[in-house]
Formats: sequence, structure tokens, C-alpha cells
Amino acid sequence: MELFKVEDLIFNNQKQNFWSNTPATYELGPVSFNLKAGETLAIIGGNSSGKSLLAKLLVGLERPNSGRILMNGVEINNADLTSSCHDIRMIFQNSNESLNPGLTLGAILEEPLRLNTKLDTQQRNNLVVKTLRKVGLMSDHQFFYRHMLSDGQRQRVALARALILNPKVVVADEPFAALDPSVRSQAVNLLMQLQKDLGIGFIFISHNLGIVRHISDKVIVMQDGKVIESGKTEVIFTWPKAEYTKKLVDAHQALVNRQGS
Amino acid sequence: MILLDVKNLTLEMDIAGDWIKALDKVNLVINEGQIHALVGESGSGKSIIVKAIVGALPSHWRITADRMTWRGQNLLTMSLKKRRQLIRNDISVIFQNPIDSLDPLLTLGDQLKEMIPKTNLTKGWFWERNKQKQDIAISLLHKVGIKNHELCLKSYPHQIASNVIQKFMIAMAVASEPKLIIADNPTKGMEVTTKTQILNLLSRINQVRDMSILFVSHDLLAISSMASYMTVLYCGQTVESGDLRLLRKRAFHPYTKALLDSAPSFRKDLPAKSALTSLEGTIPTLHHLPTGCRLGPRCPRARRECVIMPVSRRVHNHYYSCHFPIHRDTK
Repeated sequence: MELFKVEDLIFNNQKQNFWSNTPATYELGPVSFNLKAGETLAIIGGNSSGKSLLAKLLVGLERPNSGRILMNGVEINNADLTSSCHDIRMIFQNSNESLNPGLTLGAILEEPLRLNTKLDTQQRNNLVVKTLRKVGLMSDHQFFYRHMLSDGQRQRVALARALILNPKVVVADEPFAALDPSVRSQAVNLLMQLQKDLGIGFIFISHNLGIVRHISDKVIVMQDGKVIESGKTEVIFTWPKAEYTKKLVDAHQALVNRQGS
Repeated sequence: MILLDVKNLTLEMDIAGDWIKALDKVNLVINEGQIHALVGESGSGKSIIVKAIVGALPSHWRITADRMTWRGQNLLTMSLKKRRQLIRNDISVIFQNPIDSLDPLLTLGDQLKEMIPKTNLTKGWFWERNKQKQDIAISLLHKVGIKNHELCLKSYPHQIASNVIQKFMIAMAVASEPKLIIADNPTKGMEVTTKTQILNLLSRINQVRDMSILFVSHDLLAISSMASYMTVLYCGQTVESGDLRLLRKRAFHPYTKALLDSAPSFRKDLPAKSALTSLEGTIPTLHHLPTGCRLGPRCPRARRECVIMPVSRRVHNHYYSCHFPIHRDTK
């Protein structure tokens, strides 16, 4: 049974240029994949290949022109965002800037609860403290502001905000890019641990092929808005078929193999 | 021959009335024709070292060093004018963020031509100079692999793709034919194919033109693919330095070990989805620096002696500063 399924998702962005009659278009898709509970899917690809756009489509920030997103066999209706808000959460590209500097962490984490659940203040507060503990922060951190935290801690807060509604799928846009090596491996470990405990499906975008290879079960390779290859991580890294994937994997392998020589 | 020799460089910053040591006894030696990697996490003072070498730091910060020489000439006691002259001729820097470090109001061609030293244009009359500069600029762009030189020279920085502009920065750095190129995080936020291009370009410059490169980064994969010598920095202290191959085979300092282990691509035997080794905690901020060895609170091998700053010790060409290095006690 698939937890999360995407069928023929197509997005068409047409911008009418003021001066010319031919509109500039950006087409994404068709994209289809499925994800089981506890699995990790990685999306890789070059700049402007539509990776971030795909992530936005999945969480409902943009509406697709056609195609279906199914959660546990039920189609997610874009008109009813509350249920999809519960089930799919997003970690944004830059965790530093996606946290409001004027609010305490407690207020930041409480916001999705206030908007999406019927819990009272006491219950909300308890849940905030519980979630902070879950991601390895202390309950006192709810009184902190963004600038008081280090990069790794901010990443944890972004993760806590994604996890606080008990989602089934978390979509992350370059969650590790801004982190330093030693903090990054902490974040990777934390994610894998939480995934094991809670059984969430995890979709993430990354440039770092080393990490992709390490933590993902499936990979989607994108180029210019098209999915050019998808499949199991090991298969794609060992026998890449498409030209672009070959280039990516070879470049990565060349870097790995060149060390020590 | 030793190009740059820095010994016990200490830099103190004035933060809210306190003098804080942002760099604490940093040692760095760069030989001719070498690719030297400077590794450290953000806030470890990599960029400050770069700025201290080229002398671009605010004058109210205190800089002291036992020795800071460029090919035998003391940089600290030199007059400002002479130092500028020296650095203009011999060192060039590729700054961290190419788009931000270029002038947005000038075309790339103007900026590149400004970098070509006058001494390269001796022949001909003054009205031929512009033509000469243009030719040199075009040949420089070809050397770094930008084929569409006309478009590139006419454009403004924001109009050019990020990988092209990084190559352009390298062309600017090579223009004055320096002895040392300092590349400050040149592969930051790049995808793999562009990254390999840039790395290949830098290695080629190193081999063909015999320029030394100080490669400042925290991307270990990139470093180990090109550098021969590595200095590891943690919170403004040099933790370990040595030949890269030796260092990777047996690191003495726990931090170096943790850093090397944190990159999953280094270990082929690692099963997928297993936990990566990592150090507890995060990098301390400048206000809360621990005394002694600054890794202390995060170090798995820390003992009571670690509050005293360890002296730099040496095994062959391999320097490390730790009271309890990893491989020594197994004997």
C-alpha cells in the first residue's frame, strides 16, 4: 500500500510578456512516483530544473494544471487545504530566513497548531515542548528568538515546525545545504532516527550526491522540468541510463575516486 | 621555496568592550606550486585569515604574529603602500560570492581590463593600448573556458549564469599572473558537474602556470580531489596540518577524524541509511569560547588537561595540537 502517490502531475506557467505576443512558458512534468511509509525519495537535478517547483506543487503552494496527488489512496483536494496541511509539511530551503525573527520559537511552533487544530492553549503548549524535545532541543528554547540559535539548532526548529502536526510526508528543499559538515551529519542522523520512529515518508531535494546516496531509497532525476530518470538509488548510481544522469554520477564518482591518487 | 609563512597569527576583535581572540595562534605555510587546502566550518575564521593575508581587515582590530612573511619579506612591518604593491602583483583572491564582490554598475569587460597590470602592455603607442587590453581579456576568457567572450565582456554581473561568473572570477584572478591564488569557497552551492569544471580549471592553472593555490572551503570532497596539503581549522585555532594523504590515513586530532567521517562519500563500506558519526553539540559563538583547546566541550576524548592550550607537536611533516591524539596511545 502506497502512502503517497503522484500521478501525471503537470504544471504550466505562462507569463504574458508585455511587448511580445508569444508568452514565455515553463512546463513541468508529467511527474509520477509513489512513496511507502518510512521511505525516502530524493530529487536531484541542475539549476532551474524545476525541483523546487515540484516541491511546492506537492505541498500545495502552487496548483498543478492537471494530475492527481493521492494520500493513502485518497485524492488531496486543493480546495480543502486543512487535511493536506496536516499530512504534508515542508521544510524550506533556507531555514534561517524562513523563521520569523520577531517571534519566539514557541510562537512560531504554535502557529500551525492554532490554525489547524482545535487544541486549547495548555495542550498546544504541551505539544510544543514535546516536539522541541523530540528534535533534541530543550523546553526552554520556546522562549528563544531566532538570532539566539546556531545554524544546526535553527534547522532543528524548522524540522520541529514540520513535525508538530504529525505529518505523514515531509518535503524538504535542500535541508542540509547551509549546514557545516559536523552539524550536517547530526541533522542527517536526527532525520533518519525520526523517520525510523515515526514512519514518515521523506522527500528531499539535494545537490550533495553523497548524502543522497546514503539516505534515500529512490531517486528522481530532473532536467528542464522533465523527469528523465527515476528508480532505486543503487540502480541509478550503479547503472545510470540517461545522458544527464551519467554525467552527474560520473562527475561525483570522479571526485570520489580522485582522492588519494 | 616557501611563499607564505605565517606563525602564531593572533587576531583580537573588540566586541562589546571585550577583546576576543578570533584567531588564536594560527600557523600556515604555503610552498611554491602547492595546492594548500584550508578546511574549517563556518565561523572558524577561514575568511578572516584570507583577509589578514591580503591586509583587508579593519585597522582597529589587533593583529599580532611571530612571523608573517611573503617570500622572506615581512608583511607586518612593511609600509602600507609597499604592501599593497606587493599584494597587487603577487596574490589574487577569488572571493566567496562572485556576484556580490563584483561591481554591479560596470560591465565585466571593464572590470577584467582593470585587473590587467600596466607592465603587460609596454609595446605600442597609447592609442593601441585599448586594443591590446581587449585581446588580453579575450584570451584570458578563452583560457578559463568561456567561449562566448563577446557576450560575457559586454554583460553586467547579474546577467551571467553563476558558473560562468565563477570562471570569470578565476580569469580575473589569473590576469595579473600572481604567485598565489586564494580561492575562498569557490564551489559553494554548486551542483556536481559545474563543481568538477571549476576544480579541474583550478588544478590545471596550478599545473600549467605553476601558481600556488590556497583553497579555502569546507567541502571535503572537493578538497581531497585536488589538494596535496591540508590545514584544519577549528574556531580560530589550527588543529592539525599535514600531507592530505597521510592525514586521511591516520588523523591525530579527534576533530579531523570527525570531519573526515562526516562525509558519507568517503567511506565505501558504509551501509546505506546507517547513522553517521558526528560530534555532539555545535560550534561555539565568539562570545562563549571555551578556554584552552576550543574543541574541549565537544571532544569525545577530552580530559581535565584540555583546559590548557596544547602545544603544537610535530611528527615528520605532520603538525597537530592535542593532548591526547588518537593514534599515539595505541602503541
